[in-house]
Amino acid sequence: MDVVAACKAFVAVSGHGSFTVGAAAARIPQSVASRRVAALEEHFGARLLDRTSRTVTLTPFGREMLPSARRLVELAEAMAHDAERAKLRPFRLAVPAICTPRDLAELVADGRRHGLNLDPHPADPGERAELVRTLEVRAALVAVPPDHATWRTTLGLACHAEPRAAVIHLEALRASRADTSTKRRVRLQPEDDVPHVRDQVTRLRDAVGLQPAQVVVSSLVTAAAEVLASTDLLLCSRAQADELGLHWRPIGGLDLARGYDVTAGVREDAHRIRTSLSTAIGHCLGAR
Amino acid sequence: MILRELREALDDGGLRGSFLVRDLDTGDELSIDPDIEFPIASLVKVPLALATLERVARGELDLAGPVVVRPDQVAAPGPVGLSKFRHPATVALEDLLYLSLAISDNAAAEAVFALTPPAEVVAELRRLGHDGIAIRHPMVDMTRTPAERFGPDEVHLAQSLAITAATAGRGHAVPQLDVSRANSGTARAFVDLLQALWRPTTIRSEVAAQVRELMGNNMMRQRLAPDFTSDVSRWSSKTGTLLNLRHEVGVVEHADGQTFAVAALTESRVPAVVQPAAEALMGRVARALRDEIRAGRA
Repeated sequence: MDVVAACKAFVAVSGHGSFTVGAAAARIPQSVASRRVAALEEHFGARLLDRTSRTVTLTPFGREMLPSARRLVELAEAMAHDAERAKLRPFRLAVPAICTPRDLAELVADGRRHGLNLDPHPADPGERAELVRTLEVRAALVAVPPDHATWRTTLGLACHAEPRAAVIHLEALRASRADTSTKRRVRLQPEDDVPHVRDQVTRLRDAVGLQPAQVVVSSLVTAAAEVLASTDLLLCSRAQADELGLHWRPIGGLDLARGYDVTAGVREDAHRIRTSLSTAIGHCLGAR
Repeated sequence: MILRELREALDDGGLRGSFLVRDLDTGDELSIDPDIEFPIASLVKVPLALATLERVARGELDLAGPVVVRPDQVAAPGPVGLSKFRHPATVALEDLLYLSLAISDNAAAEAVFALTPPAEVVAELRRLGHDGIAIRHPMVDMTRTPAERFGPDEVHLAQSLAITAATAGRGHAVPQLDVSRANSGTARAFVDLLQALWRPTTIRSEVAAQVRELMGNNMMRQRLAPDFTSDVSRWSSKTGTLLNLRHEVGVVEHADGQTFAVAALTESRVPAVVQPAAEALMGRVARALRDEIRAGRA
């Protein structure tokens, strides 16, 4: 016997003094209400309701039992409510600061469909790793070398004026001996200030003979402003270049990529994000 | 001010540099950190030649004296010259000096050091009034750097080590880069030496003339020379290169008689072996200092 359902019927019928009205209030057919109350009476071995008169009244045993039946019903309702709340508790997820609001909104919407109430928290790579370490977020999309990554975003160089070549060679930025006035720079975003990206760029910079000052890390807005106003190049994904209205080209002789994976305080959380939200996250990261 | 601009340019180019340019007749000079001590690498061949020629002038050594150089016994091989020879060669002392200064031949310098060891060079320099240059080792100790232990694809690792392994007070984990253990000197000490060679007082004038002539024969002209040579100016110099160090000291003599001594000692924080941009930058900075002095004089 479902004690909670039976108690609900009992409380409803006794409250309204009628099986018809009480059943309607509890949104069950009258026959079901009578059966449930009868089952409860059988369970306790005593009558709860006096059905002899036109209206239904409580027996002395019924009067004794009503308060605990009511408590049981309220407790069951509170429990159902808590269950809903728990399922909807925000899931804080540290995401790269480069994700656009629209992509994040789509990620949150996709999360809802999978029963996750995502609360994205944009941060730079070092901060994301720190946030998940200190459990300030439940999970983080962390930067990892692309060969061990779940998501991989190819990086290239973007500039304001459309380049003729299909590939940009870093060596083209080297000033010739006769001309030292022009100094084109490669601008890196904080998102790419991680060893597996930054060090490869600086190594190539040194190998092809660029000046150290020709590779600069700055905020995305500053970098984009410089790129729009000069012949400088922005290291970015194709999606970012499209967003900024810049022309994107691969880097000659360097296969450079951002890599991402999920780290979470609880292993199950990481698995859940990785499997059910893979496509939406890939979109946020510009992984194609 | 031009100096701040030049310092910025050096920093942008990944160079830490010590520059001094002096008008040898008026004594006017402009400089950037001229008193920082650097390991001097092949610049040591200038004092070595000076000391040896002083000894020749005193009759202690014979310029025509034959020296047999056996390639298999060369302890300090270099990229050019006698260390590339495949067969034993008999070379006169005077020609060893020429090879040592004109093409920076390490094997030739090693053979000269065998005749005039470091202690003798120091003694000569002290006698002539130049004690700002410390000479502690012959060529062989100078060239055995970590660079020899890495393969051709990994030479940038030796460069990285050279750049990052410095310790406080200009010490270094690599002995050849530690100013307290390597042959070392400052831009000022070298300009003083150049002044003594071009306007000799203590050095015998015929010895000074011989060293000037030898420095004029320098074939390494990719560093400062492009900024100082023309049909109406003569550039005499010596370069020094070791791991991330790039130096050149020299004198430019203009047709109108103006003469400037230039010393550029630099260390790079870029871990690349081939850096033409750094050499061009050195030339640009040295030239800008010279032009500034010359403008002030005119």
